[in-house]
Amino acid sequence: MLKLHISQTLPNPLQMNLECEAGQLHALVGPSGSGKTSTLRTIAGLSQAKTGKIQCNDEIWFEADEVSGIKINLPPASRSCGFLFQQYALFPHLSAIENVLIPLQNSLLEKEERISIAHEWLVRMGIQDLAKRMPHQLSGGQQQRVALARALARQPKILLLDEPFSAIDAPTRQSLYKTLADLRRDLHIPILLVTHDLREADLLADRITVIDQGISLQTAAPQVLFQKPRNARVAELVGINNMFEGVFDSGKLHWDNSDQLFHVLDKGKIPPNTPVAWVIPADGLSLHEQPSDTSVIAKVMQISTLGQVAVIQMQLNNGEHTIVWEASAAEVRRLSLKVDSAAYIEIDSSKIHIMPLRSINDPRRFTN
Amino acid sequence: MANPILLSNTMEVMDIDAILLSLKLAAWTLVLIIPFGVWAAHKLIRLDKGKPWIEAALALPLVLPPTVLGYYLLIGLGGKSIFGVPLVFSFTGILIASLIVNLPFAIQPIQRAFESINPEIREAAQVSGLSHWQIFRLIELPLAWRGITSAAVLTFAHTLGEFGVILMVGGAIPSETKTVSIAIYDKVQSFDTSGAGALALLLLGISLVAIAVSYGVFGKSTYYRRAKTNA
Repeated sequence: MLKLHISQTLPNPLQMNLECEAGQLHALVGPSGSGKTSTLRTIAGLSQAKTGKIQCNDEIWFEADEVSGIKINLPPASRSCGFLFQQYALFPHLSAIENVLIPLQNSLLEKEERISIAHEWLVRMGIQDLAKRMPHQLSGGQQQRVALARALARQPKILLLDEPFSAIDAPTRQSLYKTLADLRRDLHIPILLVTHDLREADLLADRITVIDQGISLQTAAPQVLFQKPRNARVAELVGINNMFEGVFDSGKLHWDNSDQLFHVLDKGKIPPNTPVAWVIPADGLSLHEQPSDTSVIAKVMQISTLGQVAVIQMQLNNGEHTIVWEASAAEVRRLSLKVDSAAYIEIDSSKIHIMPLRSINDPRRFTN
Repeated sequence: MANPILLSNTMEVMDIDAILLSLKLAAWTLVLIIPFGVWAAHKLIRLDKGKPWIEAALALPLVLPPTVLGYYLLIGLGGKSIFGVPLVFSFTGILIASLIVNLPFAIQPIQRAFESINPEIREAAQVSGLSHWQIFRLIELPLAWRGITSAAVLTFAHTLGEFGVILMVGGAIPSETKTVSIAIYDKVQSFDTSGAGALALLLLGISLVAIAVSYGVFGKSTYYRRAKTNA
């Protein structure tokens, strides 16, 4: 199990708390420059945080506080991390198998045994026929498999993957998804995956930590994250389209700039008349041909059909708000939706999730 | 069968002693300066404070007139000796001069080679569990070998052709300090143009081959460059 708590303000702000169980794949998601890679590098010992603690199983790899400074700081070579670099960082003068043999250099095993282990890893990655090829003779996907074999050859205690899918084509990516799923099942070590692609994180990860400006904003299972983002920034970062503002007062949510009122359950933590952000997930929205007492009238502004999926953009309340609704192309035909036509939207208030308007790390979050 | 008179004439024209001395000087310079160059270049790439000054000092022999350098060496080493061997007007003296003059030729190509190694490669070696020495031996040194070869070739060629400093520190003592370039000068002074011409042609040939070898080694598309484009 990996436990991480690091904090610093300079040179780059970094406030990170996370735990990752053995056998779990934990994704770090955030925009470019948000500190995802810095977190992985700090875990691997390639850079240091000012304060914090990094613990893997019972072993403390790093410990520092404001008063005593750095107390423990194991060098990268002693941390037993498998690190897959974004650009693979294969040793260009060594063949594929020699690359995989490098982490076994200090092993007490006989040379033949080391070669056999390296070969096994290449077999496992499906690239045993390329053992003698030099890195420049391999495709991007093949290089990545060599890099993954090298990262795992030493039987690391954790596996760190830095944007592994960013530089490879779609078919290679699909096959790597499967490899990664197999590894998670077989290795039983914590796996940390850095990605900026939420769909990828949703597909692969058991838990996701959303990072922005060096700060971990929320850690949750993908489903929870998409349905109940902790604040407006998280909702924005996880790409929730339908996010609005309103005022919450004792179970009633007043939608800004509209007469619309929703009855929303909360845990009684929100003070009266608090400005809030709120989101409605896709399954909380439905479109109807006929109006009802509770439906909201919208005007269809744009229909984009992508294969069998259609994205419909609608305006409400005289253009004050825009709602995006994804449906099948068949559903669009059934509802006879056309640009400029009227649509009747039903919002399921039990699916509404309300959040603080500002980030929890924003000191202004309690003010207007 | 070789004609002994012709052979003796050729040796005289070519000044074989000067050629052997130049080769000896170049060989000793190489043996001593290349390991130092590798060490110094490796230290320099990690240096932050004072790096421009140290680099400037090491590059001085490139821009200083050889007589200036020779003058300082003469003043600095004059009257001193190591194990009874005087440091001026001796082979040891011109070897020291040669080592100093060749510092930029030995260090700069190796330093550039170390600097061109992608930092992620070193980090990958670190997280693979290699010690600093292992990273140097297994990763950095093989990746920098083109720079090391280039440094060796340049140093060798430059030592054979060095004139001003050697003359200032060593004079022109036959078999002791009279290298090929000084022998050429001597021959021109004594109107032996054919002898000077033969030696000059020899130096020209050696220099051309050395530079061609150096360009040949670097001209090839390296695996490193190709690997980077692939990534």
